[in-house]
Amino acid sequence: MSTGAGMETSIGAAASGKRRPAAPPDPIDAYVAALAESLQGPSRAKSRLVAEIRDGLDDTVSAHTRAGVPYERAAEMAVRDFGSPDHLAPTFQHELTIAQARHTARAAALTVPLAVACWLLIWTASHDSASWQLPRTTSLLTVHLVAVAAVASVLAAVTLAATGRLARWLPTPHRLPLAVAWTGTAASIAMAVAALVLVTLSVVVTNWPLAVAAGALAAASHAVVASSARTCRQCARLPVN
Amino acid sequence: MRTDAVRGHLDGLLLAVLEPGPLHGYAIIAAVQQRSGGALELRTGTIYPALQRLERLGLLKSSWDAVGERRRRCYELTEAGRRSLAHERNAWREFTTAIGSVLNPATPSTGLTT
Repeated sequence: MSTGAGMETSIGAAASGKRRPAAPPDPIDAYVAALAESLQGPSRAKSRLVAEIRDGLDDTVSAHTRAGVPYERAAEMAVRDFGSPDHLAPTFQHELTIAQARHTARAAALTVPLAVACWLLIWTASHDSASWQLPRTTSLLTVHLVAVAAVASVLAAVTLAATGRLARWLPTPHRLPLAVAWTGTAASIAMAVAALVLVTLSVVVTNWPLAVAAGALAAASHAVVASSARTCRQCARLPVN
Repeated sequence: MRTDAVRGHLDGLLLAVLEPGPLHGYAIIAAVQQRSGGALELRTGTIYPALQRLERLGLLKSSWDAVGERRRRCYELTEAGRRSLAHERNAWREFTTAIGSVLNPATPSTGLTT
């Protein structure tokens, strides 16, 4: 915690040109930074958790200082009361891993069906148009991509249910975040292939604006799902309590 | 008595102290300590993940509230949280009755007869 007195000291040292030994880091700042560094998860959930930890520590310090304990000692006591970061990180990570699995599931649930809808749009257009048809290989690829997307959507729905209110009565499967991570990865690869095929197709079909738009949507879906799935894989590797 | 001693009852304790109204994290710890006459001492770090889990399960809801110059996350019971608390209380009563009747039997046991 920086103080006005601390700033004056630094300014005074700089003005006199003398180098003083750096002040030891504030125990609360150091503790929060150490804990935050060891945690992985959705940025909003993580920053909320870290803010709450910081608040809790500040409240504990305030309680000790009100009782007459000097700040430095109060900060050390607050950190000790809180528990060591190594001991607590798996407990905090458990919630963050579930939050990340839910985040990835939502990303897959929202973006994959959207991209599939684009695929179906293209397919329908090809059947309606006498001027161009999808190549047979592209049609087969479409079916496989739809299958991947369908699996991802089903798992997303299961994940959101199993980690939400249903978890009051049923235990959350331990390997669910890992399953979500790899299904999300598969879906993101499918979306990347879809984007590539659609953009390639736009060169040869007359209705190229539709193909380009669908390709851009598939590429955006890939970016969203791939990023979330990568973080989910990292979370799933971390120990949890 | 520290956190290890209340493991398994943490959810019930948190729901119970939030029953009268919304509280932030540190106030929840203080309330548990005060209600137990200082016998129950929760480790500060353990309650934040527990509060977030209870919120995910729909038993609590939370919001940032301004307290003086600071903002704090305050938690309060939902309707489902109140039902869950009632369930926890019933389960606890049944448990203590059962244990009590073994530890303090109305009629002292005379042992197995042959």
